[in-house]
Amino acid sequence: MAWLFLVIAGLFEMYGVTMISQLHKKRSWQGVVKLFLGFGGSFVLLSLAMKNLPMGTAYAVWTGIGASGGAFLGMLLHGEARDLRRIACILMILGAAVGLKVIA
Amino acid sequence: MKRNSGWVKVVGAAVLEVLWVIGLKHADTPWEWLITVIAIAASFSVMISASKTLPVGTVYSVFAGLGSAGTVLADTLFFGEPFKLMTMILVLLLLTGVIGLKMVTPDNTVKEVS
Repeated sequence: MAWLFLVIAGLFEMYGVTMISQLHKKRSWQGVVKLFLGFGGSFVLLSLAMKNLPMGTAYAVWTGIGASGGAFLGMLLHGEARDLRRIACILMILGAAVGLKVIA
Repeated sequence: MKRNSGWVKVVGAAVLEVLWVIGLKHADTPWEWLITVIAIAASFSVMISASKTLPVGTVYSVFAGLGSAGTVLADTLFFGEPFKLMTMILVLLLLTGVIGLKMVTPDNTVKEVS
């Protein structure tokens, strides 16, 4: 369950970050509410995940999902460079996260 | 001078980050939760303030590095989490990916700010 919470926390974080860039383009109170929902949900889920996981492991995986997910979304939706080095970094993050899950 | 105070902010933001991560795992009383929420908000705003004078990608990389190292250290030093070499190696590998990702991604935000 903890790992599922962690993955969903990462997805909430990606949503929150997307809202930040939306708000940079156009300010609206709905956008602010969505931003708080995104990050709020992410912190609640991270907290739930940490009940059964070491703090350092949970935090590292949470950061990793946020960063690699953000880059992945950028490539998919905003036409950011599909640089081989970026893809290699994303794979490295995912590989390490899976490794942490396996040895947990 | 401006750059130096920027780096002081990055380190401060990372310390706050470790504080709220500890809070998310260990807070029990309303006061501890309040401190945790304040630390989250403070950490965000100090980091945003630092990235106004320094490149965002670099700020994030250093911040994520210090934050991860800090939480892993706090785990083993203060909360009796056993030291596992394989966990350390995988956290380092993950961190290398995060830092690499931020370093090779072109920094758009800097142009908007300066």
